Parts: sequence; structure tokens; C-alpha cells
Amino acid sequence: MSSRDDRAKEALRWIAPAGRSIDAVNAIVAAPLLERQRWSWRTWWIAFAVSLALTGAMAISIAWLLIEGIGIFGNNTTVVWGFPIANYVWWIGIGNAGTLISAMLLLLRQHWRASINRFAEAMTLFAAAIAGIFPILHLGRPLYFYWLAPYPNTMALWPQWRSALIWDFWAISSYILFSLLFWYIGLVPDLATLRDRAKGTMARTLFGIFALGWRGSARHWHTLHIYHMTMACLGVPLVVSLHSVVGLDFAASLMPGWAETIFPPYFVVGAMYSGFTMVIVLAAAVRWGLRMQALITIEHFEVMAKMLLAASTIMTLSYCTEWFTAWYGGEGAERRLVVYAFTGDYRVLYWLMLVFNCVIAQAFWFPAARRSIAAVVTIGILINVGMWLERMTIVLNTLSHGYAVSMWRTYAPTLWDFLLLFGSLGFFALLFLIFCRALPVVSMHETRRLLSAEAQP
Amino acid sequence: MTARPPIAPADAGRFDIDRRRALTLLAGGMALALSSCGPPREEIVPYVSMPEGMTPGLPLTFATAVAPFGYAQGVLATSHEGRPTRLDGNPRHPSSLGAIDIFAQAEIMSLYSPDRAQAVRHGDDIAAWSAFEGALQAQLEQEKLRRGAGLRIVTGRITSPTLIRQLQALADVFPAARWLRFEPIDDDAPRAGAVAAFGEPLVTLPHLDRAKVVLTLDADPLGPGPQQLRNAAAFAKVRQSRLTPDDFLRLYAVESMWRLTGANADERLALAPQLMRNVALRVAQALGASVDAGDLPDRARRFADAVAKDLAGNKGRAIVLAGDTQPPEVHALCHWINAQLAAPVDHLPPVDANDKSHAQSLQELADDLGAGRVETLIIIDSNPAYAAPGALKLRELIGKAPFSAHLGLTDNETAQRCQWRLPMSHALEAWSDLRAVDGTASIVQPLIRPLYDTRSAHHVIGLLHGDLGADPYALVRETWQARATGDFESQWRRWLHDGVIADSAAAPVTPPQPHLPNVAPAQGTPPLTLVLAPDPSLWDGRFADNAWLQECPRPLTHEVWGNSLKIAPQDAAIHGLRDGDVVKLAHDGVTVAAPVRVQDGQPAGVVAATLGLGRNAAGAIGNGVGFDVYPLRGPAAGWHIEGVTIEATDQRHAPPTTQHHFRLDAEDKDILRTLAIDDLPRGTASSQDRGESLPSLLPRQNEDGYQWAMVIDTSVCIGCNACIIACQSENNVSVVGPEEVEAGRIMHWLRVDTYFLHEKDEPPGFQPVPCMHCEHAPCEPVCPVAASVHDGEGLNAQVYNRCVGTRFCQSNCPYKVRRFNWFAYSHDQAYANLGADTVTAQYNPDVTVRGRGVMEKCTYCVQRISRARREAEKTDTPIPDGGVVTACQSACPTRAISFGDLNRKDSSVNALRHEPHHYAMLGHLGTRPRTTYLARLNNPNPAAQDDGA
Repeated sequence: MSSRDDRAKEALRWIAPAGRSIDAVNAIVAAPLLERQRWSWRTWWIAFAVSLALTGAMAISIAWLLIEGIGIFGNNTTVVWGFPIANYVWWIGIGNAGTLISAMLLLLRQHWRASINRFAEAMTLFAAAIAGIFPILHLGRPLYFYWLAPYPNTMALWPQWRSALIWDFWAISSYILFSLLFWYIGLVPDLATLRDRAKGTMARTLFGIFALGWRGSARHWHTLHIYHMTMACLGVPLVVSLHSVVGLDFAASLMPGWAETIFPPYFVVGAMYSGFTMVIVLAAAVRWGLRMQALITIEHFEVMAKMLLAASTIMTLSYCTEWFTAWYGGEGAERRLVVYAFTGDYRVLYWLMLVFNCVIAQAFWFPAARRSIAAVVTIGILINVGMWLERMTIVLNTLSHGYAVSMWRTYAPTLWDFLLLFGSLGFFALLFLIFCRALPVVSMHETRRLLSAEAQP
Repeated sequence: MTARPPIAPADAGRFDIDRRRALTLLAGGMALALSSCGPPREEIVPYVSMPEGMTPGLPLTFATAVAPFGYAQGVLATSHEGRPTRLDGNPRHPSSLGAIDIFAQAEIMSLYSPDRAQAVRHGDDIAAWSAFEGALQAQLEQEKLRRGAGLRIVTGRITSPTLIRQLQALADVFPAARWLRFEPIDDDAPRAGAVAAFGEPLVTLPHLDRAKVVLTLDADPLGPGPQQLRNAAAFAKVRQSRLTPDDFLRLYAVESMWRLTGANADERLALAPQLMRNVALRVAQALGASVDAGDLPDRARRFADAVAKDLAGNKGRAIVLAGDTQPPEVHALCHWINAQLAAPVDHLPPVDANDKSHAQSLQELADDLGAGRVETLIIIDSNPAYAAPGALKLRELIGKAPFSAHLGLTDNETAQRCQWRLPMSHALEAWSDLRAVDGTASIVQPLIRPLYDTRSAHHVIGLLHGDLGADPYALVRETWQARATGDFESQWRRWLHDGVIADSAAAPVTPPQPHLPNVAPAQGTPPLTLVLAPDPSLWDGRFADNAWLQECPRPLTHEVWGNSLKIAPQDAAIHGLRDGDVVKLAHDGVTVAAPVRVQDGQPAGVVAATLGLGRNAAGAIGNGVGFDVYPLRGPAAGWHIEGVTIEATDQRHAPPTTQHHFRLDAEDKDILRTLAIDDLPRGTASSQDRGESLPSLLPRQNEDGYQWAMVIDTSVCIGCNACIIACQSENNVSVVGPEEVEAGRIMHWLRVDTYFLHEKDEPPGFQPVPCMHCEHAPCEPVCPVAASVHDGEGLNAQVYNRCVGTRFCQSNCPYKVRRFNWFAYSHDQAYANLGADTVTAQYNPDVTVRGRGVMEKCTYCVQRISRARREAEKTDTPIPDGGVVTACQSACPTRAISFGDLNRKDSSVNALRHEPHHYAMLGHLGTRPRTTYLARLNNPNPAAQDDGA
């Protein structure tokens, strides 16, 4: 049948010849876990050492933060928010792509996602967890963060439900919970495969425990499928709501440049944008480091580059909408803020942000750029920088240049701001490196499923 | 000199303590604890209620006086269980009229300052008073032989009748001794001018409230000084919106640097001080004098002609005032002009009993010290080693006296050059008496037993008399017993209760008609001139150890913890300077490194700096803050120095500022509105501006009971900062130190914004900004833990205990009035030595001291509302209008701040909210603020302006 032919062709497109058998898929994915002596791990160890050092820096800056208080950051009375808030929004944006790839592409039957969804989900989990740290660390009294939760207490105090921060608290908590469940259940058949292939007792026992007794029966597969589709149906609205709520942190205010109805959708797209770029960067690393060239192909990069191009265009449109409404709305403070963004104290950041987010992704109109891993990765990293700058300029421009003219003031980060930012990057890398060595980075059962379409023409 | 290191608090931790010493210290500590704080031994009569009525937890109020400039300022001191915590103005006192300036308020901080001298020191060693007494008596025996020829007593301005009596009596014992009086902020020029005009050094008191036109020539009647509160109150009376344009004061200021008077003037002219005489001469010409008025630049000539016309047309209601920078002959000329104008001014005999000029006194001291004629040098509460003109070299000369002693609150520069350093009792620790500028006397009564082993000036002068047990209480009573009529005891109690001695003010004298002095007009362009002025926050430097004042933003520049050299944009362009560039300022071989600040409205060819900074013996707070310009002064002191040079360096250093943007662009004009008095009948504000007619989805707040509101009249806000310090002392607001201010984290709950509305060299407007207490407060819905909540009386309350520090409230506050505790500023992360235990003694026990990581802000002095409510509930009556007075309101000399209940139809705030020029700041946002404003009214004269005809 023609549809079957299409699927076969599609499988051919997404899996290189070296990986076109079920055994080959299993072997390629399991090799880093079960046959470690196959290649040298020197690069991994160097990366591990660097990320461990950065993680140490993060630990030190958190300790110092708790000892000294948040005065160690560069904030002032006017710009009361700074790096931690921008970091939070940025990390939660990164944490968005895994779910989008797993859930939305699953629902859209984009089967090519099979070889990238596993590590994208792991990335989501790590990024969302790191994102969740920042709102707590930025509190004046972090030890009381649990007051945001409606726990029973003798004073009968309840959170203040009108606050966007409370919505945020629930959005992050439920998202992390969802990501964990989705990722882990997807891992179960692969853990069973590893259990079966493991040579050492230790590995077999550990994989066995976490495989939860998966035997690969038809009933198991059926339940898994139903479960996956159900979770995906839950996940897509959840990821949209999460980022809408993050947008509402700003939009549910009355400050110029924040109180904009476009913020929720614009934050969702922005999150997808930065998340996808991070997936691309990680995909390139995994493909090269773990010898996955057969499973993660140039085709994957090409299709993801197309998505970046689409997202970049939407972001550009969003920025234009912001400027247009500021002008069209006629509110002096809004107009002045747009002028300030282009010409004020943070203009360099703003222009860089526009170049990174709007201009450079236009290179993906050309197939050559889409099919060059170096180009896609470079642009991806720059877009991620641009997205961080976007969050930073959203926070800084409005706070620095609000309504009270006498209180206009600029913000300058301190060493601790940078240490915490780069420390969190290191911590993320550390978690990801450990994940690469402990769990299958590509979903074997989904890749096999994709392959099976080809195997039975 | 001495091998032993000085004993400083910082060294205390390094002592090795053995068991024996530990027990000694323990016993000593217990003994001290038992004998420490408590009411003074002598009887103190309360102002409000009798001591037997004292209830623990309820403060008592006593009337007393402090003397920030030597002259009395009547205050009401609040004491909690014998611990004074706060000073307010005394309505019965003519120099207070119920208001209080920043210096008098900060005296309470000086009392508890950790930098106070706490023990007698001989050299660097701690000594006992008895050791000093022994040494002094031996020295005095020798002095007696030479009739006191080697004895010099140096004081600041003395207005205490008792101290004057003691000093004069000393002449009987030591006829050849000399009493030298020195104030760095002297009044030599006005005194000499009065002598030239009237033949005696009369003091001129202007009655601004009876004036229609006032011209100041570098005079600063509204600026800091002993007359500020009185002048400001009078100024406010003739700047009210209800006045007709014909009765509304028009203030012209000619200034060589920005002063508060110029900042509040309707027309201001920036002019070199040397040229100001030509303005005065032009006015004299218009009044019929046939004098040569010299030449003036175009703009200045137009200004002078407009002023002259205005003055001449308002005889009987016009005043001309000359200031410090003007020489005696210009003062004399102004006296002549005032006589022609029949100006509403009083002339009073001076309170200051020493008839030598300050410059003469200092010169004499320097000469005598240099010639070795000084054997015994007693310096009482004066700091010539720091503040004397550099040319006199007093710094080095003081050490030449064989026997020298300094009595002062701190071990300042002078004390460090004296052999004996004596700790002085604070004005709140010892009995004394003081006179105000107009002669009104007050009894100074102590509120607390001295915190350390200190003595008052009366006691030390008593020692010179040979009286080891001189008791200030007995001395002061003796002085007044001699002047009492009738029953002394009841009068004494009345005086203590009132804080003023009735009918003690000097009667104005009618001086002879002044003759027209011969004043030569200035010719040509003067060379680059440095103009000096007292510092608006530190005066002459005596307050440099006061953390509140160091952190009190200077009007206009909002600089704190430092000063800068003000330079005109034209001059800055010539030298290629921008804000913060350090220049070498030199005159006569003396060089001072100073950061510049390019200031519009500074006359070209004139640079300006304030005195009182750059101290190096002011303790942990004041040392090394800013640069010191005293060394540049010539021997005759003087307020301007001609022919200074400035040379750019490659260094940069600017003092921290609390406001960075001063200009209101067209779209922001509504933040601070201005209106000419002529235009007032047409009005500006509408209910739209109050946000009342804006539709809202939010439910209306409960509006039963009291509904508190504040209205601030920006017309009469003169920018004196009294409200800022009042708020700080009432609400335990932390001082954060220069680094934290630089980081943008000043904690003041109330700020006074300064905005330039027209051209940048025209007078700005001042706008005090406390919390707006919005009815639809944007801070409330965003707080995740409900720490920012509305109470039933319209207050926007902040629950410190509940705050977790997300700072969302401040993010969403359009007025940015919230303040966050980035560090534990009042606890273990306090600036410098402000974490000392004595500092905590100042705290108002009715207000929580905030910890690290919580948000705080103006509460409308909720503790005062609560107190008023408790009082009202006792009698079951509602709180009357004016029953709650916020701290800022109580200090304000112009009564610019009104506070009251909106639900009371006859309340003053309700009336003000219906004024035509009433408006809400950013009212279009729909926040419905409870703090609202009256537009700034002015009374310009187009003829005096650039484009005037």
C-alpha cells in the first residue's frame, strides 16, 4: 500500500544504513552503557571535570547566598529582579522542548522524533528542575519558600491566589512531575532491553529493578501506548499553560512593557524556540560523542532547523506586535520604553538579542545551512544566548525605566550573578553527562518501531 | 610619641583575658549594669503629663532645646522609659514653631553615636577626670601668677546665658585671659555690614510673611541655618493657593551656586558673587540713589531692572537680603535699600556676646600660639584644627601650647592635637540654657543620665574657676533665679514645661536711618572663583559622624556620603570634564582633589563646593568622606576665593547619588505639575486625574470608619529634607552606607524627588514621595503570600513576618516606594559601627526593626494612628481632625503635608482634595492613591526672563 510505502521511505530517510536492523539499533544505543571499552572516554572525562567544577561554583555561590543574603546580587531598589528571574525563565524555556517533541510530535505522528525524544525529555527534566531552584534562591527569605504552598498551619494562612507567582508555583510543580512520569515510563521497555543484554550482575539487577518487571507482552505494549498517548494529550496543554503562566508573571502587572496580552503565547513560542536549539546542540553532542550517526541523521538537523526558522519568524512577528501596540496604544510610558529599549542603557543587549533571535535563523532558508551540523549548532547556541538576552531585557528595561522618573536606575550584575548562571549550566551538563553514561540516550523501542515499518515493506 | 598603642574598640577583641581579669570585668560589668541608664538625678518636668503618670510602654515628652548652630532650637523630646528616642519641634519656640530641621533631629543619633568620646584621654591613654583636674589646677596656679595671660579659651558660638555668665566671671580671676569664639560658618560680613549701616552689629530678621517681593543676593533664608524654620514658615504663609496673585510672594534669587532659596525662587539668576553688587546698585539707582551701577551681562541687566521695578512698586512689602559671599559694604547697601523700601524686617541686638569677629579671633589665636604666648589652651566644643582656614596653620600650631585640653562629643582633629581630650555630655544629658537668634531663652533639661563619664561645658568652665564640683543644674538655676520675678519655683516649672522662658526675646530696636554707603561697582570679568557654602547635610562638618546626616541626600544633587565641585557646563566643556572626573583644585599653592559635577544653573567662571567634608578624625562614619576645602581658605576665612585653578586628572570618583534622572520630559510632566498663580483660577486637575471616574473591575474597598489620606502641597515644599530624617528616626529606617547607596539600595521610606521642569538652569520642583497607599494597590494582588494587604482604614500594610521577599510588589509599584532589606542592615550586617548596642537604644519601640530579606515601606506612621485610636477609644470619641500627625508632617517647617480622615467631611485633607490644583500622581493608572498632591504654584515675572521684553 502506498501509505506503507511512505512510512518505509520515511524510515529510510531517518535511519542511516548502519542502523537498519533491530539488533543494530539495540547495539548502537546500548554500547555506551554495556560496552564502554569500545572507545576512549577522555572527552567525556574532561567535560565531566569542567562541569563538576562549575557545579562546585554553583554550590559555593548558593552557600554564600544563603549566608550573606541576596544583597550579593547586583539588584537595587529599582531593578529588584535580575539574573535569577531571567535564568529561571530561560531554563524553564529550555525545559519546554522535550515535552513538545515527545508529546506534540507524538500526537502529530512525527515518527522521526524517535531518535531524539529520550535525551530531549531528560534535558527537560534537568532544565525544569534547575529552573525551579531559581525562584527559591531569589527570595529574600528562601527558607520560607513553602509558604507559597497551601499547607495546613495553625495561623490558617493560605497563599494569595491572585498572585501570578502562585500560579507559577503550581505550573512548575505539575510540569516537573509530568516530565518525570513521562520520561520514566518511556524508559521502562529500554531498561528491560538493557537488563536482558547486561553482562554484569550489578547492571542487570539495577536495570531490572527499574524496568518494573517489563516482559514485552502485547498487553504491556498496548498499555504503554495508551498511557503515552494519554500523557501526550495532557502534556501539550500543560506545556502551553506553563509558559503562559510564566508570561503572566510579567503580564499580570501594570508596568509598561510587561502588561501586554501577547505575553503568554509569545512566551510559549519563545520557550519552544530556545528549547529546540538546546535539543539541537545536545543532539550534535550525543551523535558525535556516543557514535549515534546512524540514528541521528542530517535529516533530523534539517527538519529541526526548519522548526527554528518558523519559530524565529513568529518571534520576530511578536516583537513587531509589541512595538506596534506600544505605538498604537498611545500610552507615553509604553512608547518611551520601546525607544529606551533601542537607544537606552541596555541597547547593546537589545540589538544583540534581535540579531540572534530574528536575523541569524533566516540562514535556514538555505538547505546548505540546514544540512551543515556546524552551522546549525552555531546558530543554535547564538539563539540560546539571544533568548537569554530577551528575558534579561524584558526584566531590565521595564524595571529600569518605569513610571517613576526619579527612580530610573540601571542594573549591573555581580560576580555571584555570573557564577550562579554558569554554575547552573555546569550542573545541567553534569546531569546530562551522567545520564549519557547511565541510561539509553535514544529510545530503542521507538526507534525499533520506526525501523519495523521499513523492515516489512 | 608614646610607645603604648591606643585603646580602640577594634582592639578589644585581641586582649588575652585570664581568669582573674575575666572575673574583674564581670564584676565591673554588673556594677555598671546596675548603675547605667536611668532618669537623671535632678527633677525633670514633663511637657505633657506628670512623671507620676508615667505608664510603662507610653512615652513621655519633655521640652528642651538643642543648638545645632549654637543658637537654640526648641524641641520636644520623646522618652521611652528614660530613653530618649526622638526629637520633635516645639510649637512655642520661635526658632521651631513646631517644626524641626534635619540637624536638630539628628542630635538623637549623635547622642547614641558609637563614635562619641567616652573617656578622658591623656595623649592616647585613658585617664580619669581627677587626673585632668589635678593637672589643670597645677596649670591654673601658674596662670594665676600671670593673671591668666597665657590662658585662651576657644569656643564655638555661645548663646547660653549661664555659660556667658561663667565666662565673664572668669575675667575676675584671670583678667588677662582671652575668650576666643570661632564658628566656621561665621556671620562676620553681616555683622560688619550692620556696623557700617547702623553703628552696631544688629541682626536682621526678615518677615517674609509680610513681603510681596523678595530679592536675595546669595542669601539663603530658606537654606539650612538657625533661621530656616522661621523663614520657611513665613514663606509658606505667602505661597498659599488661596492668596490672590497680588498677595502671593514673588521670590527673586541671584546666586553664585544653587541654594535652597534659589531652588524655590520664581526667578533665579546665576551670577558671579563679585558682580552681585552691581545688581544691588542697580536697585539702589531705581530707588533714587545716584550711584554708578557698573556693567552687567544682558540677561543680568534685564533681571536687575525687572527686580528693581518690582521692588520699587511694592514699598513696605519688599525685602532685599545679602548673603555670606557678599562683603560688608553690600550688606550696608542692602540695609539702605531696605530702609528706602520700608522693608518688613526687624533689627535685634545680637545674642552672641563676643563682639570680636570670628576671623579676628582665629587670627589672634594663631598669632598667640605662633608667638608662644599661649600657655593654657582650653577648647570647648570647637574644631579649629579642622575648620580653621588652612592659611592660619592652626592644625600645627595647636600642638605648641604647653597645656591644652579639648572638650567635645568626639575626639576630633582638634582633640587629637591636644594633650587632654575630655568627653562632653550631650545636650540631652546635661543641664544648660540657650538663646535663639531673637534672644528667646530656653532651659536645656537632660533626658538621660550621661551614657559615659562625660561633663558639660559648665562643669569645665567651673573647673577653671577652681570649683571641682560645679553643678550645671545649680548654675543654670542661679542664672535664672536672679532674673525671676515672683515665685521662682513655679516659674521654673513653667519654663521647663513650655520649653521657652516667657518674654525673654529681645525687643526689636529702631536703628538710625542708614546712610548710603559708597560701593564701587565691579568692573570686568572676575577670574575663576570658588564659592564656599555650608554643607546642606553636614553644616560645617560637626555632623560628619552622624550617619543619618551623611546619608541624607543633598537637595538638588541628591549626593550622599561625599561632595563634589559644582561647575558650569561652559567651564566643564572648556576643561573637558564630565560628572565624576577628579580635578586638582588649587589656590596659593594648596591643592585639593575634588570630583566635579556639571551643574546647569551654576554661573560660568564660578565653581562651588561645600564645607564640612573630608574629615579624618570623625570616627568610623565620617572619616575620609568627601574632600575638604577649608585648607583653601585664606586667613580672613571668606566665602569666595578668587583665582583658583582647576586641572583635570585621569581619576574618576563621584559621590553616590540617590536620584539619577532630574528632567521631566513632556510625557512625564504630569508627575509634578506646575502652575503660575495667575493661571490658578482656570485650574488644571480634574477628577479624571484622581482616577476616580476610571471604570474598575476591582471591588471597592470597605469605606466605613476612618479612611486615611495624605495631601502634599508641592508649592511650599522647599526641599529641606526634614521629613526624610523625621521618618528615619520615627520608623527605625536603616542607614546602609555609601557602597549600598551606590548600589541603589538606600532605605529611606520617603524621598524628596527633584525635577527640573523647564530649562535645566531654572528652579526645579520638589516632590516628597511616601507610599501612595493606593486604594487599588498594584502591590497587593501580586504578593504570593499576602504580605502586602489592605487594612480597613485604607492603609496598604506590609506584614514583615509574612514576607518571603519575592519583591514582586516593588516590581509592580509604579511609584517605586518600597524598600527591600538586601542585607541585615540593622543587625549583623550594619554599616561600619552602626551595629553597636548604643545605636539600638535610639530605636522607636513602637516600630518593628526589619530583618534581612523582607520588604518595607511607609506605613503612614501606623503606630501613631494606633496610639490616637487608643486615646480616642478611652473617651469613646472619634479621633479628631489633626489627631494623627505623621512624623514627616510634624517636622515640616512649611506644613506642606496634611494628613487626615477622608470620611470626616470637615477634615483638612478633604478640603485640600477639592482644591482646583489637586491631582494624583499617575492617577491615570487607576491605582486611586490616597497620597495626593497639590500642583506647584509659582509667580514668575516674564520681564526677568531670557525672552522677556
